[in-house]
Amino acid sequence: MNSVSIQSEKFLDRESSLGVLLMLPGLILLAVFLAYPFFLGIWLSLTDTRIGMPGEFIGLWNYVDLLEDEIFHQTALNTMVYALVTVPFKAVMGLGLALILNNQIRFSNPIRAFIMLPWIVPTALSSLGWFMIFDPVFSPISWLMIEMGFIDSNINFLGDQLIAVTAICWVNIWRGIPFFGISILAGLQAVPPELHEQAAIDGANKFQRFINVTLPQIKGLLMITSLLSIIWTFADFQLIYVLTKGGPANQTHIFGTYAYQIGLFGTEIGMAAAITLYMFPILAFFSIILLRYMRKTA
Amino acid sequence: MEKLNDNQPTSISGETTEKGMTRRQVIKTGAAAAGAVALSGGFPYISSAQNKTLNIVRGTYFIPGAQEIAKQQAEEFGKQAGVKVNADFLNWTDLNTKIGAGIQAGGIDVIELWPVQNHLYANNLVDMTEEAEEVAARGGGFEEYVLNSGHVNGRYLGIPHGNNAGTIAYRISAFEKAGVKHADKGGMDMTWDEYFAVAKECKKMGMPFGQSLGHSLGDPIGFCYPYMWASGALEVGDDGKTILFNTPTFEYALNKFVQAWKDGYDETGTSWDDSSNNRAYLSGKIASTFNGASIYYASKRRDDGGKLMNDTHHMLMPKGTAGRYHEFGTQTMGILNNSENIDVAKEYLKWWFQPENFDKWWRVQEGYQLHHVKNLANDPMWKDDPKMGIFKEIPKYGRLRGFAGNPNEKASLAASKYIVVDTFAKAVQSGDAKDALEWGERQLKRIYR
Amino acid sequence: MMVGSDKQKALQIYVPLVVYTLLLLFPFYWMGVVSFKPTSDIFTLDLNPFWVQRFTFENYQYLFENTEFISWMWNTMLIAVVSTALSIFCSICIGYALARLKFPGSDFMGIGIFLVYLVPPTLLFIPMAEVIGALNLFNTHWALILTYPTQLIPFASWLLMGYFLTIPKEIEESALMDGCSRIQILIRIVLPLSVPGILSATIFCFTLCWNEFLYALIFMSSGDMKTIPVGTVSDLIKADTLFWGSLMASALLGSVPVAFIYSFFVKYYVSGLTASAVKG
Repeated sequence: MNSVSIQSEKFLDRESSLGVLLMLPGLILLAVFLAYPFFLGIWLSLTDTRIGMPGEFIGLWNYVDLLEDEIFHQTALNTMVYALVTVPFKAVMGLGLALILNNQIRFSNPIRAFIMLPWIVPTALSSLGWFMIFDPVFSPISWLMIEMGFIDSNINFLGDQLIAVTAICWVNIWRGIPFFGISILAGLQAVPPELHEQAAIDGANKFQRFINVTLPQIKGLLMITSLLSIIWTFADFQLIYVLTKGGPANQTHIFGTYAYQIGLFGTEIGMAAAITLYMFPILAFFSIILLRYMRKTA
Repeated sequence: MEKLNDNQPTSISGETTEKGMTRRQVIKTGAAAAGAVALSGGFPYISSAQNKTLNIVRGTYFIPGAQEIAKQQAEEFGKQAGVKVNADFLNWTDLNTKIGAGIQAGGIDVIELWPVQNHLYANNLVDMTEEAEEVAARGGGFEEYVLNSGHVNGRYLGIPHGNNAGTIAYRISAFEKAGVKHADKGGMDMTWDEYFAVAKECKKMGMPFGQSLGHSLGDPIGFCYPYMWASGALEVGDDGKTILFNTPTFEYALNKFVQAWKDGYDETGTSWDDSSNNRAYLSGKIASTFNGASIYYASKRRDDGGKLMNDTHHMLMPKGTAGRYHEFGTQTMGILNNSENIDVAKEYLKWWFQPENFDKWWRVQEGYQLHHVKNLANDPMWKDDPKMGIFKEIPKYGRLRGFAGNPNEKASLAASKYIVVDTFAKAVQSGDAKDALEWGERQLKRIYR
Repeated sequence: MMVGSDKQKALQIYVPLVVYTLLLLFPFYWMGVVSFKPTSDIFTLDLNPFWVQRFTFENYQYLFENTEFISWMWNTMLIAVVSTALSIFCSICIGYALARLKFPGSDFMGIGIFLVYLVPPTLLFIPMAEVIGALNLFNTHWALILTYPTQLIPFASWLLMGYFLTIPKEIEESALMDGCSRIQILIRIVLPLSVPGILSATIFCFTLCWNEFLYALIFMSSGDMKTIPVGTVSDLIKADTLFWGSLMASALLGSVPVAFIYSFFVKYYVSGLTASAVKG
């Protein structure tokens, strides 16, 4: 008993030093390349800095001013829709995909890899493909619908508020389905088969088994995947920048694109930093739920 | 260049280059270095210059030849001066990002600046007045528009190199069918009312007009600002404070535009960007649009026996109640003042603006890039194609963003928020010009407070 | 009987699978079709846009002859591989430390590292450019190799920490009793058991490196130093004219390596996620 406690004390000693040592390489990298930019970003948001013009400290003025900015209101609303409304679609469609892929399928590895494509192809490039599919004049979808006699003029994919928001959300969902699908598939494969067998013996049908056995097992994973997806989507930029740049009339602006416009084209990087940092509490809120949730399950 | 290649022995080192020497000397040094390379396989005579890197950032050219030439010339300069040259050509929408990062963090020496940007980054650019005057003197003086818009408060913060202008391109056959006389001669003197009437006729024939009203900094701004000015409205008065946007004449004109949009335009234009109208025009979907000469240039290279080319012509922006306007200024080649190679950069620009280099690059563009100096106004290049002649008229009507105020950071903020463009987009989407104008006015007041 | 269940299987599995495949892969089909069309056929409404009427390789030819696609591919590959390796190394260390070792601030670190992950690159890239400039790294591979990990380490550490937690403590404790050091345990016992988790983190990092756009745009300044996404967009969009055929060709070819890697490792990716994320 005595020797064990002496040993474990030694371990604790070694653990603390080893722990710090192991943290170091990553932390140094993060400190040099992330911490400084991050704190500078916070500082910028409290100044009226423009590109090439050192600014002065103006307190929370940028933040307060944004509260009166109509375009910012619209941007905030758009971002919420974009990040939150898309998630249930991604989750449901991803779940469907996972349920299919969880069967014995021929060529399952190449099929899985191909289905991952929307998620793995650089967004800057796949969005260009969509940009072409949504072309106001040459859209193949418009062409097909006209050919089939459903409509008689081109669909204004990115120029009409409702259709544009739908189109943008769809591309986002399209990109997210594979990630949800593969993650949920991982969850499905971890469900012990005995549970299903037992439920089947108890007379549960397929749907009941799904609700009572599968769903509770993958609930945690679904939650984590959704939160991650929300966090990523909030901070999105490339997809909308390629498709609409926030147009028409700001109806598709999100935090990332609006900050970019104000900062790089309008040169007000102080204001741009404030726009971006408005995201931080929202993202932190979702992450704290995420982390608490994970801690509970761990 | 050959006559300079005399390999005259010289002891000028790279250090002297930094203190400033003439182009001739640099080239001689380069030639000497080249000679030395041949002899010893190194650069023994250039001590400090050999480690230098010159980073040049420019916009891409849709005329591949122009970009190719600019790139080759940069490399040639590098060889002659004994410096490493990185010539980067960027997609226009990414150019601002790169400039912004370059100003804040360095890494760029020479930069191609769009009109307005010399005002916007005035604190971060090297004064090139002397070099610009030299270029002007050699070329018989700058053109009027360069004298008006190429400098910032009398100082040239970069050497002007012209600008690519945009105007109305149209299908002759469609205009003739719509009853426009002398459409085949080009350069008609129309009012906006007349232009919209043609649009209506053309749309009836199944070939509407097309206009980008999306978030794109080229064509939408190039169209909306002139229409606003011609309708007797300004973002801001010449005091730089008073918003003169929501005027009765503009409300009247904007209502007309809303009607014309329904009657004469392809209504998907609310999502078009700078490239959409090119595609639509070149595939015969629209009869007229505002654009640079890229449409005509592309039609010339079409494999259709010159059909589209012969059927395309240009005219100036139509007139409104307050006159005729184009959104037009001067492009400059500037040097960022945080550059560590200002002297090499200056040598490069002086060298590139020599007629034997510059003119070669300029002529390839067949008028797409308007000239900066008077001598080029009568260049044989212009005789090659009379359909490009109208582009020389554009500068007369040119104004910059923020007119009648300065093209300052507020004007740029207004442009980057697409206030004017979105006013048009909102108006055609909702049909309520008054509401859109009020929105635009509120936004402008926030910017110019 | 057999026939019946086959039919049922086809109906329940293969039909929906085909629907999903069409939905998810249509854009790539479209990009492929466009990349094999001559420019004049891309924008015309007279031809059925879903087929290639006149087949051509000219877009690919343009890509290889008139752009520096091969260099872009090499840069992207090199940067992605080195940056991923660096990130995985750091993340294994951090993940293990957070999962198994108690040290001052270890609780705080776990949350802190995740929170920095939330800082959007659109805010960071200008200050980050200042750091790169100060270190004189502009236009070098190092600029991206060193900055990408800031986007990768937080997530990869989190993923690996989850995985390490699934390894029974008892194995390590008995090894400790046998006199192994922590480092030995990490290398000889934990890592071999964690291969699926490490692979899934690796694939994740590699994908993000391959996709990154903003940093690559800012930090690289000569044509031969660009990555595929940046090179494609800056070289094939010329002013208001887009070289659609070659753009699409580049987008497709640029995706091949990642898709290839996925087809080999997707199995491990799934099982890695299974273990680390499903726990509990």
